[in-house]
Formats: sequence, structure tokens, C-alpha cells
Amino acid sequence: MASIKMKSVDAVVIGGGWAGSILAKELTEAGQSVVMLERGPDRSTASEGAYPGSIDELEGNFRHKIFQNLSKTSVTIRNTPDQTALPYRQMAAFLPGEGVGGAGLHWSGVHFRMPPDDLIMRTKVKEKYGEKFIPEGMNLQDYGVTYDDLEPFFDKAEKVFGTSGEAYTVNGQVVGKGNFFAPSRSDNFPLPALKDVYGANMFRKAAEEVGFHPYAMPAANASAQYTNPYGVQMGPCNFCGYCSGYACYMYSKASPNVNILPALRNDPKFELRAEAHVLRVELDSTKTKATGVTYLDRKGNEVFQPADLVIVSAFQFHNVHLMLLSGIGKPYDPVANEGVVGRNFVYQNVTTTTAWFDKSVYTNQFIGTGGGGVAFDDFNSENFDHGPLGFIGGSPVWVNQAGIKGIAAAKIGGPPGTPHWGSAWKKAMVDTYQHSVRMDAHGTNMAYRDVYLDLDPTWKDAYGMPMLRMTFDWKDNDIRMNRYVVSQIAKVTKAMGARDVHLGQRQPGEHFDTRFYQTTHLAGGAVMGDDPKTSALNRYLQSWDVSNVFVIGANAFPQGTGYNPTGMVAALAYWSAHHIRTTYLKNPGPLVQL
Amino acid sequence: MRQFKRVAAAALFGSLGVAMAGLPAIVPAARAQAPAPAASGLLAQGEYVARASDCVACHTAPGGTPFAGGLPFALPMGTIYAPNITPDAQTGIGKYTEAEFARAVREGVRRDGASLYPAMPFPSYARMTDADIHALYVYFMQGVKPVANTVKASTIPWPLSMRWPLIGWRMMFAPSVKDAQAKSARSFADPVLARGAYLVEGPGHCGACHSPRAITMQEVALTSADGTRFLAGGGSVDGWIPTSLRGENRTGLGRWSEDDIVEFLKAGRIRRGSAFGGMSDAVGHGTQHLTDEDLHAIARYLKALPPDDTTQTPWTYDATLATALHAGDVSARGARTYVDSCAACHRTDGQGYPTVFPPLGGNPVVMDKTPDSLIHIVLTGDILRATHDAPSAFVMPGFAGRLSDEKVADVVSFIRKAWGNNAAPVTAQDVARVRKSLPKEEGEAPLPLN
Amino acid sequence: MQGLAGAAALTSTTLPVHAARSAGESAYSPTFFTPAEWAFLHAACDRLIPQDAVGPGAIALGVPEFIDRQMATPYAFGKLWYMQAPFVQGPANLGYQLPYAPRDIYRKGIAGAATFVQAKYGKAFGDLDAATRDEILSGFEKGDTLFGDLPAKIFFAQLLGNTMEGAFSDPSHGGNKGLGGWTTIGFPGARADFMDWVDQYGKQYPLGTVAISGETA
Repeated sequence: MASIKMKSVDAVVIGGGWAGSILAKELTEAGQSVVMLERGPDRSTASEGAYPGSIDELEGNFRHKIFQNLSKTSVTIRNTPDQTALPYRQMAAFLPGEGVGGAGLHWSGVHFRMPPDDLIMRTKVKEKYGEKFIPEGMNLQDYGVTYDDLEPFFDKAEKVFGTSGEAYTVNGQVVGKGNFFAPSRSDNFPLPALKDVYGANMFRKAAEEVGFHPYAMPAANASAQYTNPYGVQMGPCNFCGYCSGYACYMYSKASPNVNILPALRNDPKFELRAEAHVLRVELDSTKTKATGVTYLDRKGNEVFQPADLVIVSAFQFHNVHLMLLSGIGKPYDPVANEGVVGRNFVYQNVTTTTAWFDKSVYTNQFIGTGGGGVAFDDFNSENFDHGPLGFIGGSPVWVNQAGIKGIAAAKIGGPPGTPHWGSAWKKAMVDTYQHSVRMDAHGTNMAYRDVYLDLDPTWKDAYGMPMLRMTFDWKDNDIRMNRYVVSQIAKVTKAMGARDVHLGQRQPGEHFDTRFYQTTHLAGGAVMGDDPKTSALNRYLQSWDVSNVFVIGANAFPQGTGYNPTGMVAALAYWSAHHIRTTYLKNPGPLVQL
Repeated sequence: MRQFKRVAAAALFGSLGVAMAGLPAIVPAARAQAPAPAASGLLAQGEYVARASDCVACHTAPGGTPFAGGLPFALPMGTIYAPNITPDAQTGIGKYTEAEFARAVREGVRRDGASLYPAMPFPSYARMTDADIHALYVYFMQGVKPVANTVKASTIPWPLSMRWPLIGWRMMFAPSVKDAQAKSARSFADPVLARGAYLVEGPGHCGACHSPRAITMQEVALTSADGTRFLAGGGSVDGWIPTSLRGENRTGLGRWSEDDIVEFLKAGRIRRGSAFGGMSDAVGHGTQHLTDEDLHAIARYLKALPPDDTTQTPWTYDATLATALHAGDVSARGARTYVDSCAACHRTDGQGYPTVFPPLGGNPVVMDKTPDSLIHIVLTGDILRATHDAPSAFVMPGFAGRLSDEKVADVVSFIRKAWGNNAAPVTAQDVARVRKSLPKEEGEAPLPLN
Repeated sequence: MQGLAGAAALTSTTLPVHAARSAGESAYSPTFFTPAEWAFLHAACDRLIPQDAVGPGAIALGVPEFIDRQMATPYAFGKLWYMQAPFVQGPANLGYQLPYAPRDIYRKGIAGAATFVQAKYGKAFGDLDAATRDEILSGFEKGDTLFGDLPAKIFFAQLLGNTMEGAFSDPSHGGNKGLGGWTTIGFPGARADFMDWVDQYGKQYPLGTVAISGETA
């Protein structure tokens, strides 16, 4: 193993997903020389998404062809601090990406803006219900940015992603039948909403009938051909159902590979190095300035890449892991409730409800799109009165039919109570597969003092580094929130005329189970904010402690949102990049003075 | 295969009993005068002429340094390799004087006096102006870095490797510079048309692919003044059939507007179709770099060419089969295969998702008398390459492994008659012939990364 | 490997199942499973997805072939899993913590199951009637039987998961023969284009299924 020192560059970007690609694009536009390090292989639609070979559920969703290979590195998980955390050995509860495009190549495409009240959640809850409403042990925080701060960057991200949707208000004027609760926009969606699949349309009508406010989910799955501001093109979504877990062969699901990298790869100021596993960000002796990063190249050489600016933009928990391994920021201590790196680790609180219909009603669940569907937000954010309910947070509810394929259909089988195999299973599956509608309560997860990330004392990754340890469990506030919102779904399924319904609710006292897929929307752990005692990053996602390190990702969310995180991650990336370009590069140093 | 060019009507070389030699200059002569450093304007002009002439297309090996030669040309009697035209003194054209350079480009005569093969389009280049030739020379001598690269020797055995019969060919079929330039000076309705004629007939050498050739290999017409066979569609190049660039309604550019042609040459993709095969390279290397003025000149000139085939009825969209497919009726022959393998991108209505996935209804390539391009692309797929204005590349997968000859024939016949198209059906034998004739893949072409 | 000798006798019961496969199809020779294991696999898969009026069973669909072919992939060697020691057992909800890759799970699981069945019933698994086989498999699925340090539950879950994968994945992987799994449930396969059907609400999708290879049904 050789030790190599590379020529210094202006900026090094760790991770080739959405956040890294956005930062690399913005920085090269600002004239910076940029090296992007991606630990996985180079990937493209042509290599991973070639039709019809890529239409392979076994390889995509079950062998996880374009996901992280856990054999190299994983995490350990426990529910409570008194347990021994055990390795997450098989992909199940969450599915991080790997390779150029990152999770942005295999994601579904749901593309939301954050509800304004969620960005100022602590302030809002205090104001509406009083400080005592916040349960003991809940680290409820504001982001340090407002919707108005971020609006131009939400808009920019939507234009880059080619997002399909229907607005409710643009510049304060009602313009369409979009989300009644959504904040006003400076511009409409770049593309009209995708068509409703049948199940979503039934859900829309029923939700309207019972007085809720259904709307088309904003989706980065293009409803028509599209050319984005970088000049790159998308095809239209044809509802094939191969979004989540796949590179989109129609080039219609936004990905860094399709939407940004074609405009970046030929830029002489940009260099992409795939199969480059970053071991740590190197700091100078004062521990307040990064000097570059050390990584292993594909041959196993240890390489030092000096840089003036380090962008940490891998997946949420990899960012936190790298900060812990590099000594950036003070590690969180749950006993003292001090320190910030690892603090406010959060997840998302998703349960699925199923409605079964008469066999004459074909819902054709194989038809689908990852980001599209119909939702209502009547029980999300501060759109409803939490006072009498006694919990914080909420859930959008939606039919997001992403295409249920053969193996998944077999594993879902029939309604609860039917066997998982044998003739009874087979009949139940055949009777229900084409006649069901599934809907999710896609809820928030609050941050708690004893839910956090740190380094595992026992297990190491293939590079000899201690793995990240997750301490996570469901908490009463979140379980009660889920049960309340899901109970409201019953009104809708009744109006839909369902023959039978299973309400997917969390059970009181339920523990987090790593064996079943829930969502990959992990967040927090290195959050943004206005107070360095409770946040690792300032409002520009700059490390409070090492000012030439910016950490971009869902790690910055202080609470787990009810929405899918990618839209917020992209907006934060553009927000941070804007301030790096307009302020930091002119005068490098802390962007927030205390 | 995609990196691999073949000379059209290769059999012709056989009939002449000769083959193209490797062409590295071998006779040392008076060293070219080292020219004074050129003004950057002249260098830029020369680079522009090189783009307009698409020198890089033939003089660059797959994955090799531009202009360093080595691109193989497979002929029935052996393989020849394009020469190195970087200014390297030993292996390139570093020793060429401007006069020698001009003679090679415009007259097809090498520095040592030997004849070049007509794969080098000197019958078209003959009409290039002295000013353009000068700029081109300055660019190659000063704007291109010398690369020492001895290209492989021809594998053609003697006596087929003798070059002397080419002298006769040149005398018979290649115009003199004087005659060619005189023809370019013919009168045009407006100067834009004149400029278009110069670019198309001269440096652009569009006819090299798009004009039919006689049995003796020469293009049957070199300019629009030579009759309507000029640019009326050419013979197979790498298994692709260059379409007519004249005004035929169905198989030519009859329904394309001037703006359509300009945009096509810039981005390689428009509402009416996308570039593929050799044209994808021509757009990538050449036309996308031309100015809007020149592209408009080319387009206006092409739009002024009347149809060669005057029998074509205007294409109008016919929704009959689209309506059937939309209702799930796949009883028409080839319809099920179309729905299973093609409709995802090209749609059941045959209109595609233009600029991303091209339409098939009304597409001139689809209705060409010779179905080879359509069969070829179904079998091998192809890449719409990225251009400066359109940085996204799109890949059509090949279906050679998924579809039998019979199924390809059925689906190609379906495509050729659906949506108002009216071209003749193809047979499984046609498909077998094309499948067999496809150039062998020389390793995987690098896939575009988006 | 003791206990497997008896399982070799299974061949007699699986033969009719083989015979049920379409004529002219060449019998597949396993490369991972021994003859005795292969017989067990057939007898078990045959109950997990039985041949019945609803549609073809696991044997006709080539599920054992699928599983055997999977055993040659990185997945079966544990190359997709984090397999670093130490292996500490903990609560079930923290996930799989054994040092065994799928190949090991099959090897140990089938041996353990054969021993268990032989001890309890005095017969090989495949020599038992369908109802008894179902009862045994249910016991493995829900009970606390251990095959050495391998819980029967883990083995059963592995087998069931792979059986479902085999019956309903693209036929290029060796199962879903004749697209029988997909046609049973009405899944259209590798066409992957519903532009015309997304808004034809409530209608049954009329087009047949197609595999990556172009095979149709």
C-alpha cells in the first residue's frame, strides 16, 4: 500500500450523490477546481438501467444491485443505551446507496418542500401550546432557516430535478388544486402533475368526500420530456414501476447521473474519482481547519488530497460517521446531554394501511411511479390542532403506488391472518394482488435525548475503522401520533368502498425492528441551528468548529420530517452553495459570528 | 462496431483490384518551411474548417488521440488504417509544405506522389478555397500537437495493394481544383445558398455518404448542378443507410423546416427524429461546432433541393393501429413485439417522446426503401451522443438477443406500415442478411455516463 | 452429514413432480445441492407453493433450479452481508446475527431438518404425505426447533424467501418457468410500460406477460 499525495485543489467533495453533485456543480460554476470522491463504482443509466435487462426485481429490490454493499461497512443498532448494539448485517430496514448518483440513483422521486412550520418547530410549539407541551427528553429544535430563506432554493432544485406537481398558490394567488396547506411559491412546478393511478384517484375522490384536502404528490418523475437549466434532458415517466431500487431506463426519474453530471463531467475544473473510500477529513494542529481528506483508492493506496474547502456530502449517517472519525465537532454525550455530533438522530415513522376491493375492481398495482400519487396533509405539520391530542408532529397520508412486482406481491401475500405459503396463501395473493390499494401514513419522528449516533466499541468496518452505532427506538409521542393519524384513514377507506381494510398502526410500546423495510429516510445526527451547544452546523451547514468544512445532507435535520427528505436536502445544498459562493469564497471563515 | 468505420461499397475496391495503402509519408523531401506563428484568428478559422470538414472522424482511432490516425477500414481483401495527420515529422504530416498539403486534401495525391484512396473525400474537398486550405494547414501545423504514432500497415496482400490504378480513378472521377472551384462559383439566388452549397458540396462532403455511388465507386453527382441524384441517399456505411437529404416527402427532408435541419445539426435531436449511426458522429465531431449562420446556409441549401423520387404521396398520420394498441389489441402482425419491446420509448402511437426518444411515424429513416438502418438499430441499438447544446446522451439497447429474425422482421414491417408509414415489409431473410453483415464488435464502446 | 442418507429415498416421491414438468425440457443437474439435499428441496418447495387449481407449483416453476443457481452467486456466499465477527446473539428485532451465509444455512438446515424428521417420523421428509410435510414446515416456521445452533425458523425463512423469489422473478434466473408465476397473478413482467393504462381506470390489463429474454406468455 503506497501513500500518495495529490496536487491541492480548491475543493474536495465527499460523495457523488445529490448533495455532492449539487455542490460540485455550484463550485465549478464559481470557478473552483473540484475533486469529487465517491467510494462506490461509477454508474449511469446506460450501465445500470438498460432496458429490458434492468427490469429485474430480483437484482434490483432483492439483491440490491445498486445499493451499499454491507460486506465492507455497515452500522450497529440497538434500541436503548443499556443494550449491546449488534451489526446491521443484512439490508432490510433502510437501504443506503453507493456509487455515483448515490441513493439519488435508486430513490423513488418524491420531491417535497418542507412545511414552513416544521422549520421553526420548537418556536411554533412553544407559541401554540406552551413549553410544557414538549415531553421530557425530547430535543425539539428549529433549523435556523425559514421557508422564505429557502424558497428560491426549493424552486431551483425543482427546476433542476424536473419536478411534476400542481401548485396551490404562486406569489399568494391561488392557481390550481395543489396542496391547500402548502406555502406560497415563487413559481409553478416546472412540469404538470403526473396522472393519478386508479387507486390514487379513488383515494383522491374519497378524501375529498370526507372533507380532507387531497393533492397530487410532487414527483421528480417527469410527466413529460424536460430540459433542465443545465441543458440536460429527461424522458417522460411511463409508470413502469421500476423507480425505487433501479436506475430509471426512461431517464425520467431525476438523479444526479441524469440531471447534473452530464453538465459536469466534461468541465475541466471537475474531476470525479470513483472507488475512492474516504477514511477521514484531515485537520491541522489547531483542529479548526481542514487540510484535505485521506482516502483509499481502488488499488488500496492511501491517498491524501489537499483542499482549501471540504464538502462532506455522503449519506446522512456516513456524514456523521466521518465527522466522528475525523474529530470535527464535539461528540454527543447522552448522559450529560452535551456535545453535538450524533445528537438528534432521527428517522421517519411510516406505516402502511391496505384496502381490499371486489375482484371486479382492477387496481393494477404493477402500474406505478415512485414519486407520484395523491396525498392529504390535513394531519401533517401544524395543519391541525395538537392541543387536545397531546402529541407533537404529524403525517401526510398518501397513495404512492410505486409498482408492486411479482416477488413483492408474493411476500405481501393476502390480508393479515392468511398463511404465508401453501394453497391458502396462493389463493389469497391471487384474489388480492390486482384488487388492493395501499396507503401510507408517512410521519414525523421527533428527536430524543437517548436516541443518538456514536462509534461502536466492538465492530469495525473492512478498513479497520470503528463502525457507527445507532441507538434508536420508537417513543410514545410518535406512536400516539401514528395511531391518531392512521385512525383518520378509516374514514377514507370507507368512502372508497373497500371490501376490507387493515389499518397499519404502530402498537404501544413497539420497538424498532431492523428486519423489515421501513424507510431509508434517516436524518439528523449533525444538525443545523443557531446554537453551537445544540447543533453541529450553523445555518449555512458549515461546521461550527472547522469553518472550511460544510456538511450537506439530511444529517442537518433536527427532527424527522413527515415528508421525504430529498427536496429539503437539495434545497439546503443550493442554499449552502449560494452562501459559499457569495460570501465564504470571498472571505473564508465562519459565516456566523457568535 | 460503433467505433469502427467501413468504406461504403467496399466491394468496389475489389473490382478495381486495389486497396488503400497505409499512407504514411515515406519519401523525405525538402523540409516544410517553419511558418511564422499564426494569429489566433487564423488558427481558430483553421480549427473551424477542420470541424466543417470532419477530419477527426476518420483520422482518429477509437479512444485515440485526435488526428493521430489508426482508424481501421475493413475491406474484403484486408484492413487499412487512416493515417496520422498530426504535424509529427516522422509519422505524421510534419514535413508537408502547404502546397503538398493542399494537393493531398484537394487532389488526393500524397506527398510522395502516390494516390490516396477515395475514402478521403478529395473530390469534394477539391472545391475548398485557398483561404480555407491555408487556415487548415496553419491549424494542423500549429494548432495540433504532433503525436508520434505509426499506424498499422495495411493487411492487404500484393498485388491488390498496388496503388497505381487509383491514378486512373482520379483522372476519371475527381474534378480538378479549377473545375471544382468554378462550379462552386456558379450563380445562386442568394449568397446564403451559395455559402450552403460550398459547405455541403465542399468541406462538409455530405455526398460522400448521402449520394449514391456508381459501380466504380465515384459519387454519381458531386453538386446540385449535377442532377437530382446528388444527396438522394447513399449506400451502406457501417451497415447504416444514409437517407436522402433532398425534398422527398416521406424519405427525404420534405417535411423538415430550415430550423429543423439547423437544430438537428446542432443538437442531433429534434421533434422529427434523432441522429444515430454515422450521423451521430458527424453531429458530434462536426456540425454542432458550426455557426448558426453556416447551419442556416446548409439548411436553406438542402431545402432548395427538389425530390429525386417524385412519386411520394405526402405522409399524414393514421391513428388506426395506435387506437388498436391503446385498447390492448395486438392482433396485427408484429404488434405484440412492438408493445413488448419498443412502445415503452417510442409509444403505441409511434410518436415517441421527441428529442429524447424519436418518433417512428413519419420518420424518413423508417420509410427508406432500404430497411437496413431500421433492422440494424433494432438489432444493435445505438447511442445518441451528447452535444454541447444537448449534453444528455441517450442509449437505445440492442434487441439481437431478445428477438429472432422473424420477430425483428415482423416488428420492423409493423413499424414501416403503422401511423401513416407506407414502406414495404421486410422478411426474416432481410434480417438474417443484416445480422450477418454487421461489423463485429471490437470490444464494448464506452457507454455515455448519464 | 449424517441423516441425509435416508433422504436419498426421496427421489421416488419427487419423480412424479419431475414428470409433471413440460415434456422435452431437460432435467436440471444441481451443482450445489447433493442428491439427498436436492430431494429434500423438491419435497419442501412443493409444499410451499403447491401445484393446484390456482396455478403451477414451485416444482413446475423450476424453483429448486433457481435456488441451486443462486447458490453460485455472491449473495449465497454472504458477500452482500456484513459478516465480520464477533457474532453475538441478541433480541430478534436487531436482526440476523449468525455467521452463516445462505449456502451454510441450506447445508445445515437441510441436514438438521432431515435428522429431525427421521427421528420424529422414522421416515425421510419426502416420504411423508403432504399434510404431514405441511405440519413439519409449519413447526419450523413458528416453533423453536434448533438445528444445532441454527434455529429452524431461520432456515425456513431462507427457504421460503428464496422460493418466492424463484417463482416470481425473471425466468433468466432459472425459476418462473414458462412465466407461470407471473401469469398466475397477472403480473406483466419486463414490458415495463403502462403509459396507455395508467388512466384506463378499473379495467383488467389485457396484455400477456413477457420476460427479459423476450419469452412471452
